[in-house]
Amino acid sequence: MSATSVAATEQYDYDIIKKFSVMAIVWAVVGMSAGVYIASELAWPFLNFDSPYLSFGRFRPVHTGAVIFGFGGSALFATSYYVVQRTCQTRLFAPGLATFTFWGWQAVIVLAALSYVSGFSQGREYAEMEWPIDLLILFVWVAYGAVFIGTLMQRKQPHIYVANWFYLSFILVTALLHTFNNIAVPVSLFSLKSYSLFSGAQDAMTQWWYGHNAVGFFLTAAFLGMMYYFVPKHAGRPIYSYRLSIVHFWALSFMYMWVGTHHLHWTALPDWASTLGATFSIMLLLPSWGGMINGIMTLSGAWDKLRTDPIMRFMIVALSFYGMSTFEGPLMSLKDVNALSHYTDWTVGHVHSGALGWVAMIAFGSLYHMIPKLWNTQIFSVRLINAHFWLATIGTLLYITAMWISGISQGLMWRAFDDFGNLQYSFVESVAAMHPFYAMRAIGGMFFLTGMLLMAYNVFATIRQGVRDAASAQARSAVATA
Amino acid sequence: MDWFAHPENTKPLGLLIFFVTFCAIVLWVYGSKKRSEKLEEHKNIPFLDDEDEVKDKSNG
Amino acid sequence: MFKNFKHEKIETNAGLLLVLTMMAVSIGGLVEIAPLFFLKDTTENIAGVRPYTPLEQRGRDLYIREGCYTCHSQMIRPFRDEQLRYGHYSLAAESKYDHPFQWGSKRTGPDLARVGGKYSNEWHVQHLIKPKSVVPESVMPNYQWLQETKLDVSDVGDRMRALRMTGVPYSANDAEYQRNVNQFGEAVAKTLHIPDALKNLVSQAQEGNFDGDRSSVSEMDAMVAYLQVLGTMVDFSKIKPEDLVKFR
Repeated sequence: MSATSVAATEQYDYDIIKKFSVMAIVWAVVGMSAGVYIASELAWPFLNFDSPYLSFGRFRPVHTGAVIFGFGGSALFATSYYVVQRTCQTRLFAPGLATFTFWGWQAVIVLAALSYVSGFSQGREYAEMEWPIDLLILFVWVAYGAVFIGTLMQRKQPHIYVANWFYLSFILVTALLHTFNNIAVPVSLFSLKSYSLFSGAQDAMTQWWYGHNAVGFFLTAAFLGMMYYFVPKHAGRPIYSYRLSIVHFWALSFMYMWVGTHHLHWTALPDWASTLGATFSIMLLLPSWGGMINGIMTLSGAWDKLRTDPIMRFMIVALSFYGMSTFEGPLMSLKDVNALSHYTDWTVGHVHSGALGWVAMIAFGSLYHMIPKLWNTQIFSVRLINAHFWLATIGTLLYITAMWISGISQGLMWRAFDDFGNLQYSFVESVAAMHPFYAMRAIGGMFFLTGMLLMAYNVFATIRQGVRDAASAQARSAVATA
Repeated sequence: MDWFAHPENTKPLGLLIFFVTFCAIVLWVYGSKKRSEKLEEHKNIPFLDDEDEVKDKSNG
Repeated sequence: MFKNFKHEKIETNAGLLLVLTMMAVSIGGLVEIAPLFFLKDTTENIAGVRPYTPLEQRGRDLYIREGCYTCHSQMIRPFRDEQLRYGHYSLAAESKYDHPFQWGSKRTGPDLARVGGKYSNEWHVQHLIKPKSVVPESVMPNYQWLQETKLDVSDVGDRMRALRMTGVPYSANDAEYQRNVNQFGEAVAKTLHIPDALKNLVSQAQEGNFDGDRSSVSEMDAMVAYLQVLGTMVDFSKIKPEDLVKFR
């Protein structure tokens, strides 16, 4: 027992992965709490408390930043360092640089949140960080790329496993998007404020090229990398079709980059650009579903695992939500549907069916699989995972149902005419009508957050157990040698 | 560059690039039986990573 | 081994995988973004569209600081209901001096692209301090600190110089001033002159008396000045419908 534990910690570099895994959990709790808070502000506006620091407009990027970059980012760092070492059968290249990516990335999340509440924002969704933070991100990202590619280069396995392709494309594309979307002129060297180099339609195009591909590569491709390792590994069976995964990768990489313009239908952007975006959005359905089928069919012949193993259930439900939101996405990119759905809560619901259903759940599954291995122990409580699973699923369903109803009602109310050809509803009537759904959404979020808290406790107890086991094993071997 | 500014040029071009690449990849991946077998071998890589995998199972 | 090309080469060569992935992901962005910088209608001049005055620009900075774009769009789409509710659909040229653009993606509150001139200054002040006092069902937070806080004008020149670097035609010297006189007329050109920025800002705040207090310049002054100019620059009665097609 003690011999294996020593061997396991020596074979791969786990220290950095442990750090990132713990922070993924911490940021998930922080970010989801912020999410529940701002959702509650919309339902019960007194929660803004007349405070600039808590007002919805400043607090919303705290939520998006903490969940996307804090939770999602840390989970990706952790799993990519884990997967790349284990599929290349080598240790991490430049562990010092990897440690820098950890501290640098955590600094980015903290500084970003602090800067938002104190009123510094670029005013670009999901890229609100001002220029000094953007520069720090760039340094961290270059270091990340160096560690990842360096590790690939020193692999002992001749073939690069497909999960690593997805991680690699995520690292590349994120660097590209981040750089071009954040070109700005600072007011002065000592001012946090800057103005984007582009303006108007060009700026809109650049921002949504960033915005959608951040979803495409940060929240999809990278998490598919996670899926391609952890689903087969946890199921104990190889991926359904390796060839399908190759087609999936190239089609996804190529097509995703076209679709950002569907965020700008009917705007002052030239028509052809958004139509092109919509066309590719529809085509994207094929590789997306190819990937989903590939993941789910990995379980074929072992479906009973779904009944017995809540981790497996997390993964498969995540894939199902992935399939659902990648169907909903192309639907919403159709110009006629978009005319109704754009600017409404339907978009928010769509994002969250992807973010809660797919991204968070596949990350939960992977972390539940990985964390016991990192600390060389067993998970503290499978029943808690099961409870987490149900809370997360019910929370997600409540959330997206509320947003479907409110989104479609908004769209219909805004465009409703009375018998005399006048607008039937004033805008504020639509606001008032949304109250029950905003409350329902906040409750859905609370379910999801409660599940997350269970996970945090479960992981904490697992780690404590792992540390104790290791200490007693060490004590025993010390006694034995003495 | 001006040529790219016209949707009637870029749309078919985009479609063409996409379609040809897609066909090439699909043909390449599924075209030969030998290659297929070779490719499918790689799916086992995630299971080659633990020298102590077997021992791990005995623990839990 | 070298008989024919093998995908294996890609799978086993990290560098090649890198390059090919880069190519695959670049094409989409290039084809869609690059043309926008060459197309005339995204950068077209339309009579009336001008850079913001120093006070309006400071108001815009506050709009971004408070994250107004998280709930309000500034982009009216060409539908009958939007036309009735908000006014003429937005033209690309109307946001040509917007660094960054604030088209937004969500209407928790109404679109603001043409809110300028629709309500009085007093209404805006009251609404920003306590939205529920004028719109009882509103879910908007109170922004009373705008009224309570003096506007920081210390770096207004620096801000305009930074915007000038991005291409906004603020004038730093006489030659540029003359160019602005030719393009926008003398009255507007004066407000775009960087050396006079502070003077212009204060005088606009005092003349406009946006927050009802002439003694000092508050953040409310700047915010309301910005809101009141939104969508008012283009006089649509003077544009022929057939020209609009060109500007879409």
